[in-house]
Amino acid sequence: MSRPSSEEMVLIFRGTHQVMSAEKHLKKGGVAMRLIPVPRRLTSDCGLAIRIPAGLQAKARKVLSAVKLLPKSAHRLLNQGEYETVPF
Amino acid sequence: MSPRSTTPRDFVYLDNAATSLPKAVGVADAVRAALLRAGNPGRSAHVLSIRSARDLFAARERLAGFFGSADSSRFVFTENATTALNIAIKGILRPGDHVVTTSVEHNSVMRPLRRMEEGGCRITVVPAGRDGVVDAKAVLSAIRKDTRLVAVVHASNVSGAIQPVGEIVRGARRLGAFTLVDAAQTAGGLPIHLGDLPADMLAAPGHKGLLGPQGTGFLYVREGVPLAPLIEGGTGSRSEEDHQPDFYPDALESGTQNSVGLAGLAVSLSWLLRKGADNIRKKEMGLIAELIEGMERIRGVTVFGPKDTAKCVSVLSFLVEGMDPAETGRRLEKGFGILVRAGLHCSPNSHRTLGTFPEGTVRLSPGPFTTRKEIALLLRALRKISASRR
Repeated sequence: MSRPSSEEMVLIFRGTHQVMSAEKHLKKGGVAMRLIPVPRRLTSDCGLAIRIPAGLQAKARKVLSAVKLLPKSAHRLLNQGEYETVPF
Repeated sequence: MSPRSTTPRDFVYLDNAATSLPKAVGVADAVRAALLRAGNPGRSAHVLSIRSARDLFAARERLAGFFGSADSSRFVFTENATTALNIAIKGILRPGDHVVTTSVEHNSVMRPLRRMEEGGCRITVVPAGRDGVVDAKAVLSAIRKDTRLVAVVHASNVSGAIQPVGEIVRGARRLGAFTLVDAAQTAGGLPIHLGDLPADMLAAPGHKGLLGPQGTGFLYVREGVPLAPLIEGGTGSRSEEDHQPDFYPDALESGTQNSVGLAGLAVSLSWLLRKGADNIRKKEMGLIAELIEGMERIRGVTVFGPKDTAKCVSVLSFLVEGMDPAETGRRLEKGFGILVRAGLHCSPNSHRTLGTFPEGTVRLSPGPFTTRKEIALLLRALRKISASRR
């Protein structure tokens, strides 16, 4: 698994359907993103999370707000693999 | 509508109300491809799990598109319409609740309702007329203060009669009851737009008019409908919690899904979206009109149901005078290679309504790939069978 750098942000959604739906809308909205396994430090869920460049947070928020699909939580990678939960 | 993709060439298949054949072009290939590479959707994060998750998402999105809903998460996959109806009925009713339904329901509605009756629910069954159509006003007047649910079939699987579900659903909502529409015989062959038909729940199989594989189906649940899950278990989400997630579709979708079948359903829905339910209906009703016209000219053949293509779907029941329906079906197959269904069609009350209980009827159900030539073959065969008994 490739870890996001501090310049990147991990978005956690409620379920796989919501991840798939967010992926569709982010791609349509021109937000660069990747599906990644959910980091175990963040949640014990089995599935997927979305990684975006932190600089695209505002654009991603705009896209996801429009379809009422905001993530359950958003996180930025700190040193030593720690995450900081941040507002989205 | 061509090409014919998978029907065995030696048969004329007129049993699409039981399951459609052939399936839409590309379905079989999609199922095979999925079977060879299906990971568990929503459980792992590797490439094959993601591919299966994408198949599910595509099928769900296309369902929402086909049925005019903006939120695909409200389409919960099930193995068939029966499972969907059980989830709806057993999830919404509580002991003491009253239910209104009709005399033309399939056993997949009546049997779960009778089970709930044993648990303290009360049921009013509104009788349909001899044409197999229920009066919407009679259904609405049966609604009481304690009526929790109105469950109605969209079209009879015996007579093909379309029920006035729009009037029933809108009226029931005004009176404060939840509504469930059994779209087993209409999904795919009759345009359904959930904006125009504000049902709280709608159940349908994937393998009939939607032209997908057996083992697929769905329940649509409108947001705000308080449905308790029938089955609980692993969803791949909120795994740290003992309790079932409350968000859709996970709330009602536990255990590994049929991603192989759903990959096929995604392809058939894509085909349907291209063709349009209006065009499929036009084609099928043209065939039904030829059937009705031709059969009414055959001495000794009685056709049941509305006999009006504006009032029915692609389902038609008949009897040959003095002949057991099973024997008629057998002769059609053995003598002419025509495959139909004979009997009660899991809907005994419909036959009581039509006056064809307990023997039942012979049922013909052309599909989008049935040809006029096949209808002509059936009519010729019926003429011979009917003449042979005299």
